[in-house]
Amino acid sequence: MTPTYYLVLSAALFTIGAVGVLIRRNAIVVFMCVELMLNAVNLSLVTFSRTTGTLDGQIMAFFVMVVAAAEVVIGLAIIMSIYRTRRSASVDDANLLKY
Amino acid sequence: MEELHLPPIDYAAIAPLLLVFGAGCVGVLVEAFVPRAWRYRVQVPLLLAGLVAALIALISVADKRVSTAGGALAIDGPALFLQGGLVALGIVSVLLIAERRVERGGAFVAQASVVAGTDSDRRQSSQPGATEVYPLTAFALGGMMLFCAANDLVTMFVALEVFSLPLYLLCALARRRRLLSQEASVKYFLLGAFSSAFFLYGVALLYGFAGTMSFTGLREAAAEAGSEDTLLFLGIAMLSVGLLFKAAMVPFHVWTPDVYQGAPTPVTGMMAACTKLAAFGGILRVFTVGFADINLDWEPILIAVAIATMLVGAVMAVTQTDIKRLLAYSSIANAGYVFTGVLALSEEGVAGTMFYLVAYGFTVLAAFAVVTLVRDADGEATHLSRWAGLGRRSPLFAGLFTVLMLAFAGIPLTSGFTSKFAVFSAALGADQVTLVIVGLISSAVLAFPYLRVVVLMYLSEPAEDTPTVSLPGVFTSLALVIGLVATIGLGVVPGPVLELAEQASSFIG
Amino acid sequence: MDGYLGGYASLGLLLIAAALLFVVAFGANRLLSPRNPSGAKTTTYECGIDPVPGDWAQAQIRYYVFAYLYVLFAVESVFLFPWAMVFDRPGFGVVTLVEMGVFIAVLALGLLYAWRKGVLRWT
Repeated sequence: MTPTYYLVLSAALFTIGAVGVLIRRNAIVVFMCVELMLNAVNLSLVTFSRTTGTLDGQIMAFFVMVVAAAEVVIGLAIIMSIYRTRRSASVDDANLLKY
Repeated sequence: MEELHLPPIDYAAIAPLLLVFGAGCVGVLVEAFVPRAWRYRVQVPLLLAGLVAALIALISVADKRVSTAGGALAIDGPALFLQGGLVALGIVSVLLIAERRVERGGAFVAQASVVAGTDSDRRQSSQPGATEVYPLTAFALGGMMLFCAANDLVTMFVALEVFSLPLYLLCALARRRRLLSQEASVKYFLLGAFSSAFFLYGVALLYGFAGTMSFTGLREAAAEAGSEDTLLFLGIAMLSVGLLFKAAMVPFHVWTPDVYQGAPTPVTGMMAACTKLAAFGGILRVFTVGFADINLDWEPILIAVAIATMLVGAVMAVTQTDIKRLLAYSSIANAGYVFTGVLALSEEGVAGTMFYLVAYGFTVLAAFAVVTLVRDADGEATHLSRWAGLGRRSPLFAGLFTVLMLAFAGIPLTSGFTSKFAVFSAALGADQVTLVIVGLISSAVLAFPYLRVVVLMYLSEPAEDTPTVSLPGVFTSLALVIGLVATIGLGVVPGPVLELAEQASSFIG
Repeated sequence: MDGYLGGYASLGLLLIAAALLFVVAFGANRLLSPRNPSGAKTTTYECGIDPVPGDWAQAQIRYYVFAYLYVLFAVESVFLFPWAMVFDRPGFGVVTLVEMGVFIAVLALGLLYAWRKGVLRWT
């Protein structure tokens, strides 16, 4: 098994997610990009679990999935409430707090 | 694959953690089953009792130095000291959060997602605030205590999220200026999730490097590694991004002023005191247990980060016109001072850092308590121009705030002086002369905005619309008194607490 | 039917047959059915309720809450699987069972809270 391919794929996905967070404007899409980053990490964790022959990586992947689900719920709840008061989910419209 | 064994758990050692989380769980039950009118009267004593019980449990296990739950938790000196500090600061934060006299119904909104300006919004403006904030606070504090004791990367990540998620929600619950509050929350959330993804990628890379998640395992693997191991250094860098974000260090600080300004002031106080303490608890453990042996590889970069933090925080604080943003930038600069203690990488440095965190926490909580009191018809008057002439209107609170500002500026006989002295002398002991010089310059710069506020309060004529200082309720008064006593007490007789910190300054590996 | 591309002939035949079936079925429908167009027939069909104007009609917030709860509780069950693999091994025993009981109780606490807050009622 060549772990390199998996690691490169994971790094690529992580980068796509990170770039997405930085350039997308809709809070929901930004948020989906964060989820992409978390899942890229999961791929790395499972690959490393295989290469090092230990279980910790798989356990960690479980925790990441669960924490990601909790984060989804909290995040969507916050975005929902901001959408209800403001009628927009664009991060550019959230501009009241400045220097 | 290795054989699985059931890890033994030392329940006495983790009793403080269980008590705080238990208080949170019972709080959820109270929300579910106690009638609305009674919830506030049940929740506040429940949470305070849980925290006091946790403090007593911590004192009773103060001599324990064990690694429990299969090495996931290290209940050692620093963990116990920081947990004690967290519980003490947590009690003061809860006092501020529970205040309902200053603002009718408290600083929190009853239903955050009601559309602003509608009938139901006007109706709820007279209702008491949501009592869910107490279980949320309990979970956040429990997560922070777990974070300080986490001895492997899995536990650390879970603890990081356990204390972050409730804080995101608490930020969005301000009664007044709800759009600001929600905006602060969404910013904090998106950036926090972004930084925790980096933290996590760092965890994955370090795991790939060492084949283990425990800090002792990482330390052993790192000691054997050559100086060109990509996984190790990339992993440390990514992990640091997540940790430095939570500690609000430059260049990961941009969220701090916005979130501090937008969040309800009691929550801001809790973030400035408790979150900062927890973040540095984690940083201390990662860098002194995990990677101390290879410090030559990462130290230069983190020294640069510390210098940038001290300078940017101090310079930006000078230009602020809002008291909450000013305190936010001052907390960024203070993170830089704390970090000099961490970079000393000695037991003296650990003790100084822990003392600084506790001393600063009490002062900053008292400062935010005063901010909650200065009000006009629109709620808190946080713009600095509105504070002009406050010294003539209410000399007592202006005097109180002056003492706190002097403590921030590091005047002798306040805790600000002793704590800065502790970290800077530890840094000097480790030959970090540059850091100390920059720290002193930054402190001098930072004294200017503090003194400007004092001058503004006393030497300006009060205008027609100068806000009044509300009479604080029992809870805020208590928080103010505790904060003030700690600020002056730790400045005049720092001996006992410093000694305690020194006794508790060695990590178990 | 032999040669280099011979194997693809049957695939081509299948595609032609599918296209013919489609054309014949719809053509027959068009030719045989009575046609009597009216305005009501061209509107979007929504369970007998007149469709709301605009495509940005908001769904009930309750549906989101159901989705949230589902995501949380479905994903938490991921911890049950590794547990189920080991809990009956020697050396694990009652303690393991009790610990999982505590975990599920904490989850149930969340569900209990949701139930008491009335978000589970479908009205």
